[in-house]
Amino acid sequence: MTVELLTKPSRVPQWLRILWANKKSRVGVVLLSVFVLTAVFAPVLAPYDPESTDFAAALPASGDHWLGTTQQGQDVFSQLIHGARTSLLVGLVAGVFSTIIALLIGMTAGYLRGWVDEFLSGLTNLALVIPVLPLMITLAAYAPVRGVWLIIFVISVTGWAYGAKIKRAQIITLRTRDYVTAAKLAGDGPMRIVFREIMPNMTSLVVVGFMGAATAAIGAEAGLEFLGLGDPTTISWGTMLYWADNGGALLTGQWPWLIAPGLALTMLVTAMTLINFGVDALSNPALREE
Amino acid sequence: MSLLEVADLSVAYATKNSPPTHAVRNVSFSMAEGECVGLLGESGCGKSTLGTALLRLLDRPARITGGTIRFDGTDITALDENALRPLRWRALSTVFQSSMNSLNPVLTVEAQFRDMFRTHTDMTSGEIRRRTAELLEMVLIDPSYMRFHPHELSGGMKQRVALALALALRPKLVVLDEPTTGLDVVVQKSIMDSVRTLQREQGFAVLLISHDLGTVMEIADRVMVMYAGSVVESRPAGEMLHPYSRGLLGSYADPRAETVDVTYIPGRPPDLSRFQDGCLFVDRCPVALPKCATEKPPLAPVGDGLVACHVAPSTKADFADSTFVRSVRAVAEAPPVLEVTGVHKTYTRRRTSVTAVDDVSFALRRGRVTALVGQSGSGKSTIAKLLTGIERPDTGTVMFGDVPVHRLRGRAMRRYRKDVQLVFQDPFAALNPVRTVRQTLVRPLRNHLGLSEKDARARLESLVDTVGLAPAFLDRYPHQLSGGQRQRVVVARALAPEPSILIADEPISMLDVSIRAEIVELLDRLVHHRDLAMLYITHDLLSARLLADEVLVLNKGTVVEDGPTIEVIRNAQAPYTKLLLDALPNPPR
Ligand SMILES: Nc1ncnc2c1ncn2[C@@H]1O[C@H](COP(=O)(O)OP(=O)(O)OP(=O)(O)O)[C@@H](O)[C@H]1O
Ligand code: SF4
Ligand SMILES: [Mg+2]
Repeated sequence: MTVELLTKPSRVPQWLRILWANKKSRVGVVLLSVFVLTAVFAPVLAPYDPESTDFAAALPASGDHWLGTTQQGQDVFSQLIHGARTSLLVGLVAGVFSTIIALLIGMTAGYLRGWVDEFLSGLTNLALVIPVLPLMITLAAYAPVRGVWLIIFVISVTGWAYGAKIKRAQIITLRTRDYVTAAKLAGDGPMRIVFREIMPNMTSLVVVGFMGAATAAIGAEAGLEFLGLGDPTTISWGTMLYWADNGGALLTGQWPWLIAPGLALTMLVTAMTLINFGVDALSNPALREE
Repeated sequence: MSLLEVADLSVAYATKNSPPTHAVRNVSFSMAEGECVGLLGESGCGKSTLGTALLRLLDRPARITGGTIRFDGTDITALDENALRPLRWRALSTVFQSSMNSLNPVLTVEAQFRDMFRTHTDMTSGEIRRRTAELLEMVLIDPSYMRFHPHELSGGMKQRVALALALALRPKLVVLDEPTTGLDVVVQKSIMDSVRTLQREQGFAVLLISHDLGTVMEIADRVMVMYAGSVVESRPAGEMLHPYSRGLLGSYADPRAETVDVTYIPGRPPDLSRFQDGCLFVDRCPVALPKCATEKPPLAPVGDGLVACHVAPSTKADFADSTFVRSVRAVAEAPPVLEVTGVHKTYTRRRTSVTAVDDVSFALRRGRVTALVGQSGSGKSTIAKLLTGIERPDTGTVMFGDVPVHRLRGRAMRRYRKDVQLVFQDPFAALNPVRTVRQTLVRPLRNHLGLSEKDARARLESLVDTVGLAPAFLDRYPHQLSGGQRQRVVVARALAPEPSILIADEPISMLDVSIRAEIVELLDRLVHHRDLAMLYITHDLLSARLLADEVLVLNKGTVVEDGPTIEVIRNAQAPYTKLLLDALPNPPR
């Protein structure tokens, strides 16, 4: 449902217009678009193949290599540009998956109440008290395969609980509204009531939840890669940090190699946070009157 | 010298993202010591804003943008908080609708009085106790209730405590903003009686803001009418001259009369963020002249008061085109479509059980309106839920022809709901804020009539037409509609599946008095044109008289009286019905 909500064509321009109206989220939208464009056009934008090791190792920043080269002789700037692809992919996909899980569990529990609610709330609370980071690390470490998709899977199944709890609380306050009773009398079934009548009134909550999950996923991905739990041959900001650390960038004084991926991560997270400021107007038409 | 003198006062709400709302516009008036002035006007016309401005309690984003307020000889327009503090409570005080909820929940009633006296006076503990008891007695609360916490008191009692607190320091002016809205009619009546008696005894002045025309006309020495931020008329209660005042008063009538007619004011108030030339009422006025659109009428003396209208001195406007008349009418016998027999419903919460409905039986017939009248908590809405199948009776039966409603579930329940539809009380809550009128109305057509999306859409225009809305409204969101328009959409949704029974749960109580008759007329027309059976739930005897052929009076879950409306209202037998009738105001006419 979230996917449909996020990509429904008629909705996109209005979305943008609403977000654009808020100064902070406008900055966020611009910043995020820069990242998205970079990721999409990475092969065109990057001066070299990020995996090619044709250059001299550990070069300092120069006109040929804006951010220098790595210990293996790869161009850092090209890696940085390609790294945006991994981060955004993980953020988008893991964000969508954990939002979907959160929605299904939270909405079902909150709308149906009774024993279904008790069971699902128990599950949610269990998921909340399990320490996520060690679980992630364990899952990632023992999995038979390595790579981005594994990381996406691990993040999705560990990161939904908080969102589910918030969505459940919200739907409990919305399910007794008169318009919900009215929809029942109009003959609508529970699925339609939950996802077409109630959920649109929670747009801001869903979007904030998605952004939070995506932001956390981006951070978690970088963290897991940095700890060496990903596939060290993928190009991502996390692996860049991993290699920069292993390659002793600090000792050789290759600051750009160490700082650039960290800075890029920070900027991306900031962009998503700024967008959140404008999200409230989405589910409240009264706020978006021009 | 007057106690209060307001000259050319203007107040605006300036928010960041929208143009400022000019809620009070160049208002001038004065109040004498001990005078009781009623302030009338539709919702949003600036009554509360004016009342709050007088108390200098306006908060951002509201700001006084011009004019002066003189209280007891002092200009208080620009006094700072330090200078205002000694005036508040001692000289100026207030009770508003939610005052009862602003009592401190962790303190006993006595402690709240003690705190207040300690802050403002140097009375001894003994004196404080005595005065507190005296004040509670004044508002008809037994002094032994002093040791209770607010949650142990009923809404009406809490509101009385708030009133006693407001009067504790013998203020000179009390602003009462909807002090009884939301309380039961009988309780409302007794609180207003206390106010009136105390006011006579203690001689404080009262500015009474209320939607309840009958009460204001009965109690106030003088009535001021506000429209779109301006005072348009001010005179002693009685016949009013301004077309708007006449329109408002036309919406009240005595339900006991042989023939009852009420009017409504078509249209809606203007946008307060704009200034316009001429009279602001011109779009809705039945007697407007060409010059009304260009020349602003001044507030000028006519008769024993002031009025701002170009024609008021000579012509008496009436709203003949928007009148609803109800006289005594014979009703044909019809077979019942829904029969309720001996239903009981008890709710159990935290081991205490409340009997909401106790052995109630009645029948609904086609082309007839049955009113269910009673105070809040008398079980009216529970009965509505039993009829729509949202709740099930503990014992007793609800039969729709040979369908046992009390036993339906799943698919059969959905089929039944095609025939029984509900009109909700609060039009603001009953429409999904993110769906357009079109999206809302398509659903019942598709679900209950099994129409395709295309056929359903084709029906919409005629559907909204039956409730008197133009097709252009189909693409609006609820927040772009007025209260009356929303309620029309709610009615349209209920009519969409072509039900045979309509249950209307207080459908007009949240609407402005000025437009109530409009919805009453609509419902009445639909019942007769479509031969519907209707259950009309209300606490208001006037609208029951206007709409219903027969009445059931409900008290604590049991029917205490029933019969043809006119019989019950003019010839009540049950003591409880008499109590309800006594609570009706008796304004001078
Ligand atoms: N906090 C606010 N911010 C912006 N506009 C406001 C605010 N409060 C009130 N208004 C606007 O000021 C105008 C006057 O409102 P006010 O509350 O004084 O009306 P009222 O006559 O007391 O209505 P009611 O009978 O519903 O209580 C309205 O148009 C309202 O929308
Ligand atoms: S001034 Fe004109 S428009 Fe205004 S109320 Fe009087 S007659 Fe009607
Ligand atoms: Mg008000």
